[in-house]
Amino acid sequence: MSRDRTLRGAAAVAGIGATPYYKRGTSPHSAQRLILEAILAACADAGVDAHEIDGFVSYANDLNEGLAIGAALGVREIRWSTMVWGGGGGGVAAAVNAAAAAVACGQGDTVVVYRGITEADDGRQSYGKGHFPPLLSAHGVLTPAQVCALRTERMLEVDGVPGSALEALVQASHHHAQQNPGAVAYGRPLDHDTYAGSRWVSEPLRLFDCSRENDGASAVLVTSAERAADLRCAPAFVLSGVQGAGPDWSESAENNAAYTSAGFHPTMVARLWAEAGIKPADTDVIQVYENFSGPAVASLIDFGLCPPGPEAGAFMTLPNLIAQGGALPVNTSGGNIAEGFVHGIGLVLEAVRQVRGTSANQVPGADISLLLGGPVAPLVSATVFGSAATI
Amino acid sequence: MTEQPGAPDLAGPVPAELVAVAERHGRVVAAGDNAATLADFQPDRTGQLIASARLPERLVSSRLLRLEAEPDGLVAAFIRYTAEDGSDTVLRSRWIKLAEGWRVTQVRNIPDTPPVLAAAGPRDDRLDAPHWEGLQVGEVRVQRCTRCGSWIWAPQPLCPRCHSFDLAWPAVEPAGAVYSWTRTWQPFTSELSGHVPFVVVLAELPAAGGRRLLGVLRDGDCADVRVGAPVRGEVDPPPTPGGWPVLRWRLA
Repeated sequence: MSRDRTLRGAAAVAGIGATPYYKRGTSPHSAQRLILEAILAACADAGVDAHEIDGFVSYANDLNEGLAIGAALGVREIRWSTMVWGGGGGGVAAAVNAAAAAVACGQGDTVVVYRGITEADDGRQSYGKGHFPPLLSAHGVLTPAQVCALRTERMLEVDGVPGSALEALVQASHHHAQQNPGAVAYGRPLDHDTYAGSRWVSEPLRLFDCSRENDGASAVLVTSAERAADLRCAPAFVLSGVQGAGPDWSESAENNAAYTSAGFHPTMVARLWAEAGIKPADTDVIQVYENFSGPAVASLIDFGLCPPGPEAGAFMTLPNLIAQGGALPVNTSGGNIAEGFVHGIGLVLEAVRQVRGTSANQVPGADISLLLGGPVAPLVSATVFGSAATI
Repeated sequence: MTEQPGAPDLAGPVPAELVAVAERHGRVVAAGDNAATLADFQPDRTGQLIASARLPERLVSSRLLRLEAEPDGLVAAFIRYTAEDGSDTVLRSRWIKLAEGWRVTQVRNIPDTPPVLAAAGPRDDRLDAPHWEGLQVGEVRVQRCTRCGSWIWAPQPLCPRCHSFDLAWPAVEPAGAVYSWTRTWQPFTSELSGHVPFVVVLAELPAAGGRRLLGVLRDGDCADVRVGAPVRGEVDPPPTPGGWPVLRWRLA
C-alpha cells in the first residue's frame, strides 16, 4: 500500500503577524513580549483564537522556548514542539516546513512559527553565537560577514560572477523598500555612487552588501489546507519544502566541497521542484535570505534561477529584479538588507503576502512564491508557497 | 608640548598644503584635543576611525614622519606619537580631499600587526587540541584517519568516511595556495582595533589532501592577494606567557 508522502497542498499559512523593526537595542519590550505580540497579530490576521495554537516551531536557537510561549498564551494543549538545528537563518524555511509537516501528518492543527530578537536579550551578533570556534576566531574570523566574504570572493574571482550582480540585488531591495513604510530603508533610496562609495566591511562586501540586526519579531500561523480555506485570509499553500546540508557542508571550518555554493546542493534543489511539481521558470517571485548580497546571489545560482559565472551579470540587473516588470522579482519588501533583519523571519511574511496579493510591491498574478533561507549557514532550507490556483 | 618637527619625507605627488594639515592633526591628537581630532575625520566614518587605532593615554608630542601619495588619490600620513613614558607609537592615517578639505578616512597602527585573539587555543571539548599543541613545537598538525587515510578538517571525533575512531595528527608541510581570502576593515570587536585592515587567507594544503586552513596573512594589509597565490605557514609565538601560538600565512 503506497501513501502520499509529499507535503504538497496539505498545509497553508493562514495568518501573519509582525512587530515594527526597531533599531537594534531600542526595543521597548523584551524579545518574549515581541514574540507574543507577533503571534497574537498572526492569530488576529487569520481570525483564530490564540488559545487554539497547539504547536510551536522556531529556529536558530531562539531564546524563547515554545513551551514558555505556550504557557504565556494559555494554550489548551501543546502537541508539537520543534527547534530547527543550525545557526544563522538557514532554518527559517525549515521551520515553516516543520510546521507544515506536523499539520500534514496530524501531529498539530494550529502550529505557529516564530522568531524574535532584541539586543538586550540576545546580545550583539546573536546570529553567530557558538559557530565561531577557535579555528576561526583565533584568526580574526569572528562574524558571518567574514565567512560570507571568503565565499563571495572566490565566487567573484574564480567563478567569474561580476560584482554588479551583488549590487543589483542590493539595489532591488532598496528599490522595494521605498514602497514599504515599515522598512528601515524607507525614504532612503540607494544610488550607485552611494553603494560603490560605501566602506568595506570585509572585502568584497561593502556596508550596503550587509544586513544589519534589528530588534523585532514575526510569526506565521500554519494550519491544514482545508481549515485555511475557511479562514479570513487567502491561504498560502505549502507546495514543497526542503532543508538540509550537503556532503562536506555543515560545520567544516571552510572545507565545504562546493565552496561557492550557498549550500543548496543539486539533490535538494531537485526535490524542491519535484515535490512542488514546478520548474524554476514557474517561480513568480522570490524572497531570498541575504545575510550578505553574495550568498543570496549564490542561492539563486544554486536553484538555477540565475545563470552561473559571468552570465550572472546580464541576468542580475535592477530592472530584472523588481516587482514592476522584472522577470524575477526578489525581496519585494526590502528583505533583510532594506526592510529589516530578524533572522530572516520577515521574508516568510512577504512570501505569503505575494501569494495573497497584498505586497507593497505586488507582482501581478503571483501564484508561485519561493522562500530561500539562510545561505552559507550550516543548514539551509527553502519553501515553495502557492496560491489556490496552484492546488 | 610639541617636538620641533623636522621636514617629513614626501613620496610621490603630495599636495603641499597637506603637510601643515597633517602636522596640525598630530599636534591636536597629542594634546588630547578630542573635538579638534574628530573635526579632522571624515564625518560618516568617525566611529570606525575611533575604533581602528590604539594610542597610549598620555601623549606628550607628535611628529609627522612621512607623506605618501597613493594611487587612488589618497595620501598616507605617518605620524609618530610619544607618550609620557617615552614610548613611541606610529599611526598611518589615510587622507581624502573632500569639499570641506582634507579629512582622515582610514587610520591604523604601524607596523601592521595581525590581531591577537584571546580565543586562540583548543576548544572546550579539546577536539582540536593536538593541532594547537603542534603549533607549540612549530608544527602544523592536521587530523588524519589511520585506517582509511582520509584527511579530516575541521577535526572530528571519528573518521566521517570509514567511522574509525583511530585518528592521528601528522605534521604537514605548511605550504599551499590561497583558496580564498578577505581583507577585513570592520573592527568587529575591540581585539581587532588597531589591526584593521587585515587579510584572512584560506589556504589549501596539498600535503594535507587539499584540506583548507585559515590564518591571517602576514604583512597582508596592502598585499595584492589573489586566489591561487602560493603561501607558506609560519607559527607566531604566544603573545603572552601561557597563551597559544597561532598559524599565520605569508605570500611565498
